[in-house]
Amino acid sequence: MLKYDVVIVGAGGAGMNAALSASKESGLKVAVLSKIYPTRSHTGAAQGGINAALGFRDPTDSIEKHFRDTVKGSDFLADQDAVEFFTSGMPDIIRELDYMGVPFSRDEQGRVAQRPFGGASSPRCCYSADKTGHVILHALFEQCLKNGVRFFDDWCLLSLVVEGNQLQGLVAMDMRSGEIHPIMAKSIVIATGGFGRIYWSRTTNAFNMTGDGTAAAFEAGIPLKDPEFVQFHPTGLAGTGILMSEACRGEGGYLLNNQGERFMANYAPSKMELGPRDVVSRSIEMEIKAGRGFGEGMTAHVLMDLRHLGKEKIMERLPQVRELALDFEGIDIIHQPVGIRASCHYMMGGIHVQDFRTCATPVQGIHAAGECSAVSIHGANRLGGNSVADVVFFGKYAGLGARETAKQRSLGNESQVQAEANRWMQKFAQMRQKTGGNNLFEIRNRMAEAMWYNVGIFRTERNMVHALDVINELLEEYKDTSIGDTSVKYNTAFIHYVEVGNLLKLAKAVCMGAIARKESRGSHAREDYTERNDAEFLKHTLIHKEGDNYRLDYSPVKITKYAPEERAY
Amino acid sequence: MRYGFFPGCTLESAAQELMISTQKVAAALGIELVELDGWTCCGASHIQDISEDLSLAINARNIALGEKLNAPILTVCNTCTLMLRTAKQRIDEDGEIKNRVNESLSESQMQYQGTSDVTHLLWMLIRDYGLENLKAKVKRPLTGLKVANFYGCHIIRPPQIMGFENHLNPQSMEMVVAALGAESVDFDQRLACCGFHAVFPAEQEVMQKTGANCISARGSGADVMVTPCPLCQMQLDMYQPDAQKQFEESIEMPILHLPQLIGLALGFSPEELGIKRHIVDAIPVLNAKLVR
Amino acid sequence: MRNITFRIKRYDGTKHWVQSYSFRHEEGKTFLWALTKIREEQDPTLNFTSACRHAICGSCAVRVNGHGHLVCKTSLDELLEVYGSDVLDLEPLDNFEIVRDLVIDWRPKTERIQEVKPWLIPTEEGSAETGFLQAAKDYHKIASPTDCIQCGICSSECEQLAENKNFLDPFILNRAYRFAVDSRDAAPEAHIRPALENDLWKCLHCHGCVTQCPKGIRLDREIAYLRQESMKMGELDNLGARHAYAFHDDVQAKGRLNEMTLPIKTEGLVTTAMKRIPFALRMVARGKINPLHMPQAINGIESVRRLYVKTKGGRK
Repeated sequence: MLKYDVVIVGAGGAGMNAALSASKESGLKVAVLSKIYPTRSHTGAAQGGINAALGFRDPTDSIEKHFRDTVKGSDFLADQDAVEFFTSGMPDIIRELDYMGVPFSRDEQGRVAQRPFGGASSPRCCYSADKTGHVILHALFEQCLKNGVRFFDDWCLLSLVVEGNQLQGLVAMDMRSGEIHPIMAKSIVIATGGFGRIYWSRTTNAFNMTGDGTAAAFEAGIPLKDPEFVQFHPTGLAGTGILMSEACRGEGGYLLNNQGERFMANYAPSKMELGPRDVVSRSIEMEIKAGRGFGEGMTAHVLMDLRHLGKEKIMERLPQVRELALDFEGIDIIHQPVGIRASCHYMMGGIHVQDFRTCATPVQGIHAAGECSAVSIHGANRLGGNSVADVVFFGKYAGLGARETAKQRSLGNESQVQAEANRWMQKFAQMRQKTGGNNLFEIRNRMAEAMWYNVGIFRTERNMVHALDVINELLEEYKDTSIGDTSVKYNTAFIHYVEVGNLLKLAKAVCMGAIARKESRGSHAREDYTERNDAEFLKHTLIHKEGDNYRLDYSPVKITKYAPEERAY
Repeated sequence: MRYGFFPGCTLESAAQELMISTQKVAAALGIELVELDGWTCCGASHIQDISEDLSLAINARNIALGEKLNAPILTVCNTCTLMLRTAKQRIDEDGEIKNRVNESLSESQMQYQGTSDVTHLLWMLIRDYGLENLKAKVKRPLTGLKVANFYGCHIIRPPQIMGFENHLNPQSMEMVVAALGAESVDFDQRLACCGFHAVFPAEQEVMQKTGANCISARGSGADVMVTPCPLCQMQLDMYQPDAQKQFEESIEMPILHLPQLIGLALGFSPEELGIKRHIVDAIPVLNAKLVR
Repeated sequence: MRNITFRIKRYDGTKHWVQSYSFRHEEGKTFLWALTKIREEQDPTLNFTSACRHAICGSCAVRVNGHGHLVCKTSLDELLEVYGSDVLDLEPLDNFEIVRDLVIDWRPKTERIQEVKPWLIPTEEGSAETGFLQAAKDYHKIASPTDCIQCGICSSECEQLAENKNFLDPFILNRAYRFAVDSRDAAPEAHIRPALENDLWKCLHCHGCVTQCPKGIRLDREIAYLRQESMKMGELDNLGARHAYAFHDDVQAKGRLNEMTLPIKTEGLVTTAMKRIPFALRMVARGKINPLHMPQAINGIESVRRLYVKTKGGRK
């Protein structure tokens, strides 16, 4: 049986930095499981940058301002002690990344370059052209190689085994061999990323962003925090939803309606295009609704115009964005505006983290970091440039936390973990043989459609209840589906079956949290409750899964410094 | 039609037959080739391994010789074309390099301006001369001759420098071969590398390639292989007996230069085109296939 | 109605076969769209990997008619037009072990990449507490090589790797280059020497890697740089370096190559005498070479030599 002191699940920015800090000078046996090869992880898709109040470009910037911007961006739902911890530590993180070899763009003095970003009162977003996540991911991978981190690529987490609030172990499939393994661990870090794929077709997320770790934790009894807060990125490409970095707006791009107007003047007159993502996404949808967009239905869009930046700046700062627009829309942003529309991008909610210093969850032995988790520093709306920051920063502290936890715990009950593995082996054997039943892809596509049209940017009770009904129906249909592949080796059809199951579980929680939150806050914009309601809803949603039953609960928001106030940009 | 002709080193020694056949073909087609006075070796894809600046400078000088003639530069060698075009592109897109190069050239009262294009005979025939015109000059259509066109790397790759046609499925050779009345055969190694540039450090691997390239052409039923590059021709022909040692099956395949094939269609005899200089004798198959 | 057919090379861990799939043509689609459509509508057992679908994760490279492409960004219409055919052949990347169907095994490559120490060996100018200062021009040197997404297309295209498993994949050479030119790196040699020792000089100059690299990384120039630096490290006594210098020296002396003396300069007199005599005899017999031919210096050789002085070429 595989036995480790610390097991990290997920090899993106959070997972790899957790692995580095957990193994550093600890003598502990650390392993990283990843569904895909580490450098394929979705951290690499982050483009625009990573926030840290270094004050290079604007000497008046400060940790305090980063703190305040993040809290305001969160529509006051973030835990302020956690935000302060995070913003205070970010400058050190940038220096550590620099020392690891991250190729940051530089200013005239050779310092890390910084750019303006949405919702930020100073230009503090550090970057490497528009490939910031990519270069950080690769640098972390290089450091892992240097430090001999043990990777299990193509291993998919199936479940976590918890007994009496104590981690016992986990079960994962080695996709190459098709073997299902019980794995013993004293502590684990879940770092499996978000689950934006509940909106399957209209998302900037990679295909594999199916919330496997979040679903496993949810199933194992850890509540899901604030799942209703879904970030829609304002600038997805019109045709495909592929991300056009916020750096486009950061560098000065305009958003135009079909009248040629910079319509953000009507929604965020002082920040204009540099408003936070929730505000800008809503503004785009409002323009389209008012008939001031281009095209119709799924192809409706507004324009982003970057021509005035000039060729040189575009080639230097936004080379990837230019290529994406060329490859996927056939448009050269140097010469033409490009069609964009909001696209599901990020889950503010996730695994309930109880202790932001260690990223510990309520279950002893389980830690979580990155998009799969909710600390919460993003509250109801995450600021651009705070997610790569989140993964690297909390990845580090989750790794350190898991290291200390491992030192204090022993391995759990082997027979229990083995029994769970056996259960999965049976499941796998059964699914390989099963034929007929409901079409898995249709289940997935109907989920996505229900979520996009009913639990999207604008929400009403009626729509969301409908979505919940659909998801419940689909959960039933899911019980009778088949995968159509009898192969033991590399059975991606089975993996996809597991993924769709995870998405359905999480989508249901999103609907529940959203229906219950009868207010508009951050990304959660209700047409039937258009105002923020601090008296009743300045609190975190916590959804518990108890068998097939979902139980809704709330917990207080930690407010240390900034009392809620009107949020205008 | 007038070109500044850049023969390249091989045409003075091991591939003299390419010089002969090129001159004959040009004359027959009414194309004036004015050999650049004082051209140097292009570096043959080696000098940049010592100094990129030097590689750019010597080729800027070569191009400047063409500019003095006020004519585009024409080569019959893939690698010469690549080296000259590489230098041209680097210098034309980077003002700093251009200044540096011109400062060096000015000591010899020379200047690189960027006014002469660099082209290859194959491209010239299609783009400048015209296949219809070529067809009109054919005296002895090569009917029945099956030709395996071996492009060679440096006439298609890298496309950002070469760019005459799509590198994944170029058709220029097939078009010329069709104009001459011969039949092109498709074969796996049509766009492969001959390995010539690493024949010393990677002898074993290159011989393997030579054999595989010939076998692939044989398998497709080709009578001859034709290449627009003398380096490919040398690798495939001169080293064929050495490559044979690594193969049990026969790899035998005659290798012609493109101008030799054109020359045959224009009515020249194999002897006039220097075909008997090749190591693998092409004459028997040509005699058998071609109308005398 | 226009149908497109993919003939896909399949593998189930024991046997290989080719399976054809036909589907209705739709305009403006990518290969990823087509593969997904086949998997979801025709055959759930067809395996391929993809993740980000916008050319940054490097998961989805396969060969179409022999050449590597990221299927997520490659236009179906474009390749249909290039090949003038509605039937295309898809295979996994070459020069990789295959896991299943179009899925390749990266583990052996992960082992190999470590040979060039693909991590920053930091200079004393920086620390984890202070980071570094790096001039913008030095950042620009690493901007392009750090675009590499490790998709493996360069490995698939590499004609040397096809014959010689000791050769380092182009993306690994890129990683060596990326650290060798990083102003924050204290030990460029530590990255370059392993490249040299793994047949750096055996690159065939086929330009397959640079041609198909989806990020346009100039691997050809990077390889040239690694060679230049290896020679500056004093590694001149090898076939590749001597061969390059044979050209370099001949151009300086006469302006043109002396093919007669090239093997001797590259391999040394003894080896040439032992190995090349049959070769030389058949060349002489066919009139390919004239042993007595000695090239004369070209007109204007002084101007060439001046270029050597200006570019600091020539033997030190």
